[in-house]
Amino acid sequence: MLRYLAGKVARAAFVVWAAYTLSFVLLYLLPVNAVDLLFNPNEQQVITPAVKAKIADYYGFNKPAVVQYFDRLWAALHGDMGASVQSGQPVWAEIGSVIWPTIALALCALLLAVLIAFTIAFTASYTRQRWLANLLQSLPPATVSVPVFLIGLILIQVFAFRLGWFPPMGTTGAAALVLPLITLAIPVSGPIAQLLTDSFLTERNSPYVVTAIAKGGTRRWVLVREVFRNASLPALTIAGIILGNLLAGAVVVETIYSRAGLGRLTETAVGTKDIPIIQGVVVVTATVFAVANLAVDLIYPLLDPRLKARIVTS
Amino acid sequence: MDIKFRHRARLFALIGAAPLVFSGLAACTSNNNPATSAAAEAGGTAATGGTLRFGVLDAPQYLDPHEAETYPESIIADNITDKLTWQDPTTGKLYPWLATSWSYNAKLTQFTFHLRKGVTFSNGTPFNSSSVKANFDQDARGDAALGIPADPTHWTGYVSTDTPDPYTAVVNFSQPNAGFLTFTSFSGDNDPGFVAASTLAKSKTQRAENVANIIGTGPFVLKSFKYQQNVVLVRRKGYDWAPQPLQHSGNGGAAYLNEIDIETIPEATVRTGSLESGALDATLDVQPTDEAPLKAEGFQILAQTVAGQNIAFSLNADLFPTNDLAVRKAIQIGWDRNALLKGVLTNSYKVATSVIASKVPGYVDYANTALKYDPAQAKQLLDADGWKVGPNGIRVKDGKQLVVKFLGINNLVANEPAYELIQAQLKQIGISVQLSVLPIPDFEVQQAKAQTSWNGTAGNTSRDDPSVLWQSDSPLVGNGSYVEAGAPERQALINATQAIQNTLDPTQRNAATKAAQDLIFQYALVVPVYEPAQVIAANKDVHGIVFDAQSRNLFYNTYISK
Repeated sequence: MLRYLAGKVARAAFVVWAAYTLSFVLLYLLPVNAVDLLFNPNEQQVITPAVKAKIADYYGFNKPAVVQYFDRLWAALHGDMGASVQSGQPVWAEIGSVIWPTIALALCALLLAVLIAFTIAFTASYTRQRWLANLLQSLPPATVSVPVFLIGLILIQVFAFRLGWFPPMGTTGAAALVLPLITLAIPVSGPIAQLLTDSFLTERNSPYVVTAIAKGGTRRWVLVREVFRNASLPALTIAGIILGNLLAGAVVVETIYSRAGLGRLTETAVGTKDIPIIQGVVVVTATVFAVANLAVDLIYPLLDPRLKARIVTS
Repeated sequence: MDIKFRHRARLFALIGAAPLVFSGLAACTSNNNPATSAAAEAGGTAATGGTLRFGVLDAPQYLDPHEAETYPESIIADNITDKLTWQDPTTGKLYPWLATSWSYNAKLTQFTFHLRKGVTFSNGTPFNSSSVKANFDQDARGDAALGIPADPTHWTGYVSTDTPDPYTAVVNFSQPNAGFLTFTSFSGDNDPGFVAASTLAKSKTQRAENVANIIGTGPFVLKSFKYQQNVVLVRRKGYDWAPQPLQHSGNGGAAYLNEIDIETIPEATVRTGSLESGALDATLDVQPTDEAPLKAEGFQILAQTVAGQNIAFSLNADLFPTNDLAVRKAIQIGWDRNALLKGVLTNSYKVATSVIASKVPGYVDYANTALKYDPAQAKQLLDADGWKVGPNGIRVKDGKQLVVKFLGINNLVANEPAYELIQAQLKQIGISVQLSVLPIPDFEVQQAKAQTSWNGTAGNTSRDDPSVLWQSDSPLVGNGSYVEAGAPERQALINATQAIQNTLDPTQRNAATKAAQDLIFQYALVVPVYEPAQVIAANKDVHGIVFDAQSRNLFYNTYISK
């Protein structure tokens, strides 16, 4: 068991390191000079190379790439990711100032998305109305096909501007979270609902269900007590996809609702080639992915006894 | 290409709103825009207190006034610092601010400022000639150890600042710098507003870490900064050293508003919707298409064009085929500027009628001369030069097609449609334009190799002074058109733009400015497109939003009537 755990942790650490290294290589290959972006483009011809060199020096951009890589990696291992080229803020301070609103948004949206997904899956397998089942089964693809920004703009128009129930912008207070979390939950619920609906339907036709019904279990009892647990397990395996959807959706949602957050920070940092910030975001994101997958790997055996047996014997 | 001013828009200083405005003030700031007089009438008695909730597109990132880049950063810098002088946005005339008077030597290499007494920074330390010296030294030279870049554009030839006594500062240059005088009032990027010695001693990171580290003398003080969200400014108690023309005593000389809440709202429809639903009092960065509907709903549209070099294509005189004068001339006159008014621009903007905006002193109107739309003449010039119309309608000479590559930035909403209009019209006279309108970072990459790959690069530079021609177009400074050694007009252009820097005599300076504009059009080096504008929409209760000479906003006179 300990070996299993060590192996998984090592793999997670490798993923974070690989993401860091890849992002460095990619950023280094870009034709853009982060220092150029500190100056007005109209003044590029006036800014002497000496002036730029001094600033590049300050950020360590003038050293050979390999030296920069190891300098930065060494500092990063000690918790120092450097400072944003654009804002001057230390990377962790800048990320720290925006990450909590994103975490709150992502967690709440995830909860709502899971709720929506289970409702769709459960109802679709419970109902005897064929048209209703068909309708519900067509919902997951629909939620993914409607652009997030469209959902966001419609919700803001109706519930913030017309009805005035919720503030149209800002990060302060629970009310400001409602519309963003709904906007984000809808596309995120799609893949989960799709997977759950499929596995509910598959499980419902399994021999053990037939046995349970033959023994006199009601349709609902069987769904809740037998199918639910088995059908839910596969949903854990798409944790990575869900996280990806949450982060990608956050960029759009945070922009529409003028929220502070990691999504907008990333967008700005990429737009201005702010290398220290981009690398900080990559490390944070990779860590979240790695930890989430690690957690799934560790939880799964607890839920599925067959896996537990394999780990213990390995 | 002032990315910085990306969203500038234009004006109409709602100055007369203050109750005790000097009558002279109205005279020196009034203009003929109806918005001004309407707002002034609505004025009556200024109400003290309240918070102005002001929407902007760009998230302020770094609040050091000297490195203010985007329009919101400039606005914040303007409201937390003061400058030596105030430039009237309409006449371009300078008025006392922190300098009560000033003089300069005949060569324009030495400028002496007599400073106002009793001015203090918000940390209580006095403002004096050492403050001027310390700020100017760091602006001009930068401080590599602190991570502060130099600003060589505005400080070309800076030597030193002497401080013969606490209230006299003498600024020395190695070459004539007539433009420096108005630069002391400048509110664009690299704002010369004063910060305290304690701020200057801090590194870029320290300045970024805590808004309390940014200390100015201005009518407002930074209260809080939530990145991507908002910046809150609070009234400076005891402030009474506003620019002379704006000075009021309605609140003991301090600003009327208690606080200004500058909210970042990236989505245009959300800015507009927030204003309509009352979540904002006013918003900057109004889309041209939103102006008319908002006005119809009873909102004020306040706008001012941005003074400086207009949005214009600088044509590359060092690259085929724009190294050919006939081609440049044809591009200059071969499309109809007035067509921009149909569909692309609103009344808040103007069609460009010279290299520089019509408000800049020394501006000359070329609408009916060098810039007169004349497709027949354009075709004739190309024909005479050997450019014959080819089978696909594109002209050909010596086996080469007349294809020009134009580069632009997509940061202003009107840019792309305006450039596409030029592209379509030039095609009709046989010039094929390959157009790339890019986001700023990608633009920068292309800009770095513009001399060898782009025939025209579009942008604007804000500065309400004819020296902007020297800054952008002198072959020795900006050299926007790549007029290199061997080009027949090079020496003439160097001399003509330097002449603007050599005199402050209005007659001579206007003559020099005209000569430089004439020369630029004679050689068709710059093709003006439109005068960019800053547009604000505000509800009826907001009064006294001032646009300064660079169309940034000062909220010292602003109040909310309720």
